[in-house]
Amino acid sequence: MSSWRILLAATVVTGCTASIDGAPAGTGAAAGISPASGTGSNPGMSGGTAAATGSGAATGTGAATGSGGSSSGSGGSGGTASGGSSGAAPSGGSTGIDTPACTPGIPATSQIPRLTNAQYDRTVRDLLGVTGLSASANAAPSTLLATDQAGSMSQLGWSAYQTVAQMLSAQVMADPTLKANFLKCTPTGDGSACLHDTIVAFGRRAFRRALTADEVSTFTTLVSQGAQVTADGTPDEVAEVLLNAFLVSPSFLQRSEISETPDSSGHYVLSGAEVASRLSYMLWGSMPDATLDQMADQNQLTTKAQILAQAQRMLQDPKARDMVAAFHRTYLLMGTNTRWDSASHDTSLFPGFSTAMIPVVAAETEKFFDKVVFTDSGSFQDFFTSTAGFVNAQTAPLYGLNASDYGTDLAPVALDKTQRPGFLTRLGFLTSYSSFNRTSPILRGAFVMKQVLGFDPGAPPADALNTPLPAQSSTLDTNRKQVDAQTSSQTCASCHHTFINPPGFVMEAFNAVGQWQTAEAGTGAAIDSTADVVIDGNPEHMTGPADLMAGLAKSAQAQRRYADLWVNFAYARTDNSIDACVVNDLAAKITKGGYTVLNLIADLTQTDSFLVRVPEVSQ
Amino acid sequence: MNRRIFLRGLGGAALAAPLLSSLREKSVKGQDAEAPRRLVVFFTHNGCLTDRWYPALEDGALTADTFTGTTLAPLSPYASKLLLPRGFKSLNQYGTTQTIDPHDQAMGSKLTCATINDDTTRYATAESLDHTIAKQINPGGVDPWVLTVGSASTSIKEVISFSQPGTAFPATANPTTIYNQLTGLFGTGSSTGTSTTPAADYHVQRGKSVIDLVKQDLGRYQKLKMSSQDLKKVSDWLDLLRTTETMGAVPAACAADAATQLGVTSDTVKAASGGGGFGAGLATAFTAGGDMMQNLMALGMMCDAQRVMLLTYPGYVTFTWDGMMHDADHHGLSHRNGSVAVGGTCHAGVLDMLAQIDNWFAGKFARLVGLLDSVTEGTGTLLDNTATMWLQELSDGNAHNTNNLPILIAGGAGGYLKTGHAVNVEGKTVGGGNSDGDCSGTDTSVGFNTGSSTGNVPINKLYVTLMNAVGCRQADGSKVTAFGQFDGKDATAGITNPGEFASLTSAG
Repeated sequence: MSSWRILLAATVVTGCTASIDGAPAGTGAAAGISPASGTGSNPGMSGGTAAATGSGAATGTGAATGSGGSSSGSGGSGGTASGGSSGAAPSGGSTGIDTPACTPGIPATSQIPRLTNAQYDRTVRDLLGVTGLSASANAAPSTLLATDQAGSMSQLGWSAYQTVAQMLSAQVMADPTLKANFLKCTPTGDGSACLHDTIVAFGRRAFRRALTADEVSTFTTLVSQGAQVTADGTPDEVAEVLLNAFLVSPSFLQRSEISETPDSSGHYVLSGAEVASRLSYMLWGSMPDATLDQMADQNQLTTKAQILAQAQRMLQDPKARDMVAAFHRTYLLMGTNTRWDSASHDTSLFPGFSTAMIPVVAAETEKFFDKVVFTDSGSFQDFFTSTAGFVNAQTAPLYGLNASDYGTDLAPVALDKTQRPGFLTRLGFLTSYSSFNRTSPILRGAFVMKQVLGFDPGAPPADALNTPLPAQSSTLDTNRKQVDAQTSSQTCASCHHTFINPPGFVMEAFNAVGQWQTAEAGTGAAIDSTADVVIDGNPEHMTGPADLMAGLAKSAQAQRRYADLWVNFAYARTDNSIDACVVNDLAAKITKGGYTVLNLIADLTQTDSFLVRVPEVSQ
Repeated sequence: MNRRIFLRGLGGAALAAPLLSSLREKSVKGQDAEAPRRLVVFFTHNGCLTDRWYPALEDGALTADTFTGTTLAPLSPYASKLLLPRGFKSLNQYGTTQTIDPHDQAMGSKLTCATINDDTTRYATAESLDHTIAKQINPGGVDPWVLTVGSASTSIKEVISFSQPGTAFPATANPTTIYNQLTGLFGTGSSTGTSTTPAADYHVQRGKSVIDLVKQDLGRYQKLKMSSQDLKKVSDWLDLLRTTETMGAVPAACAADAATQLGVTSDTVKAASGGGGFGAGLATAFTAGGDMMQNLMALGMMCDAQRVMLLTYPGYVTFTWDGMMHDADHHGLSHRNGSVAVGGTCHAGVLDMLAQIDNWFAGKFARLVGLLDSVTEGTGTLLDNTATMWLQELSDGNAHNTNNLPILIAGGAGGYLKTGHAVNVEGKTVGGGNSDGDCSGTDTSVGFNTGSSTGNVPINKLYVTLMNAVGCRQADGSKVTAFGQFDGKDATAGITNPGEFASLTSAG
């Protein structure tokens, strides 16, 4: 099997057997453009919802075209693609993978995605200063909304928007501080002059663009009906109705792009306000701030350099931390109804574990990524090599530290670099990706292969789940040996023995609750944490977790996977051949080294699709 | 004929509402003479211990004694209003045409009888039954209520409703969201003949003015050069606004006092919502939260706000309430070993714990049935005019099989269904399955023989029967004959056996 060759497509679509021996089956179809988003769910800032990493568009073989200038950034033009795919083994020094073909262009997008619930909350916060509904036990507004869904407005969803709008408008008008976020003037007389100014000024912020004269006229008409739509027709009462109307307007609830000014290519040029909105919802999950509005209104968001300067400014804002954290939850498959919030272990075997630790180790993981990205200005590679740890009295013993040195809060600590480099060696991942009473090399190995390396082994054969784990015996005296035997049939082995199990076996150095182990608990047999792990198409002999982490850090496959997920997340699109150009470009920069994650995120704003749009493909 | 909806005495230990002293019974203009027909799906995960769930009787009249000794015992009081269909299998059984995680497969295909996407979403490739029916029987064709307890998710592990191919319709988890929609209807029943107050006047005018503004906003979008998908979203939104305007009179029973009788008040809803739907403990969500959702469903029927409702209870939770103090989650217990793995060592006391869960769900289903049966509507009850179906993700959770699927239907949808009977549609003995085949007695090792091989009639015909029962018809007015992409192991073969099951109808 010296000719292993994993061809990375826009999305990797390779079964285990198909990916060996060159020409992968089923990857020859030209990539179709996944009708983008339509989901209205941007940047996944909703946390916990399913990651938009749908497969589908697999690009063809070989002939990778350079990405050209579709992602300009700092010098990252084409040339990252290797030659055609002949099925031959990669030559020495090669990364062992081909850079996928990409199609220059601009992906189509919906021009009216609805705010996600998370975006709604942040927008209401930034627009009105409201973070909790006084009429609903101070809960976040979106807790009363219908669950995010991609289709047309539902009856329940519409009803909920109206209810929350009423609550918000009443709450804002009842609180002088909040009211000042809406009314910038004091109504005198019948209040119409002040309310007219409010329509123009507040409308600009609520719609994230200037209102048209027609729209101003529509809202003015509502104001003029004040006596008919309120009890007494006072300016405050009328103002409340006006605010209510803004908050149920489709132009508030949707992130609309309505500019139809064509460029020479037939694309529509985004207005300054639309660019500002794309920037703010991508980087903050919320509406533009005053600076962005000002830049937009002054036509200062028309070049990539201007956009980059704003992106770099915005990434320094605490609001960007939420977005980066949300992305890494997606990267790690964290959230409700995932392994991360349902870890369960036999406490008679693992007395150091309790379910109370679940939120603690999740927080530990989030702090790790925040530190690497923001505090350390770190790069992708640092995710696998950093010794940054966050420990409290509960988790310290599992890290081999003294509980008495820690309190209930997570405290920063540098962990042992030989045992704990990177996030995969932290309790969060290790306890979540384990079985109840033993480790699970399959769960851990599959995570490494699929989620970190982007290798899709395809669906397991029928009845795969009904393959019993052989009982422990004198010959099967470790969990590793049991799993190896369990997956030894021909149908299982092609994936498990070659791809999935090996990284999981390396991680056997950690028990089911994340403690370092050198001997099997039940039998005392020595733990073997060496294995040949297929990375970038080549089997590499790993001598333990630190070795594996170093391998993942330098893996072109893992680097591209990370860039790919960022592109999906930031643009709220599934894989497609056009975005593949951006992915290739970013991946090349990661590979080159010294490329901070913050720079990567800023570069996401440097694509042509931040300046123009093409209509969503009609079907 | 006057349409009447009122609360009867809400008996039973399950509901602590006081008896209704003054019944609302007022004439309602603009209503159909006949009470609406409805579909309710009560959905639970991870299958059950089939051999403890099923009564021995497979075909014939149900009596209270039928359920004695089974985990369905809480349903005994309602035997005459139950239909126990035997012999169905839901598509697309794992391994027959798709090789994808059996839970994903069961969820995606459950209400669609369709394949699921081979991508990371695993969403169904077709619209689900609830949406198909809602389009026909809901006024204006508005979408169904899909409700859950606890927290909602867009993961295929928790999604069974699809508004269109590949588009999940995730559940709403917060009782307050439902409550707010219903309270918006209170008092709008202008059909009582009382004159509207000046206060109501400006409220009505305000609502109208704001909606007009929304319509104008949407109208501007319609003039843009949009994709067909975007245009559809705009036109659907406009349709929704028009539908809301033309829904007609709200039944007089749709009022705050009726809500109070159901135990639905602002305070109780808040308590059940944990202050907004999140942050409440799981135990609260499963008990007070789930019960409140049931109450709101009954109120939704009284308000005729919705005729198609799903209520799901999430599957990956550990039961630690109502006397249960389990140490592993339901899914792990369903595999008998307490974990996501299969095989291995039996978890101590696992079968008793599973029986507790099955019995608890039976109690919750009985509560819903009793609640709907306590509200008079027309000449019967809400229950009588509804088909309320307990549907399960799997048959035996360890085996992941979907043949011999446990299904129980309460209420006859206006007399259409053959209530008071067990009906075996397979024509041969189906049996109760073999869930006790592992971890019983001295057996401590989990095997794979807990499933069964009988009960393989495709579920499509049951769905067709239900569609006809609740009033769906083909364009020419004739009965519906087909639902789903296919009804066999071969997904490419399409529907090979059209028509409903006459034996499940009162005429059969």
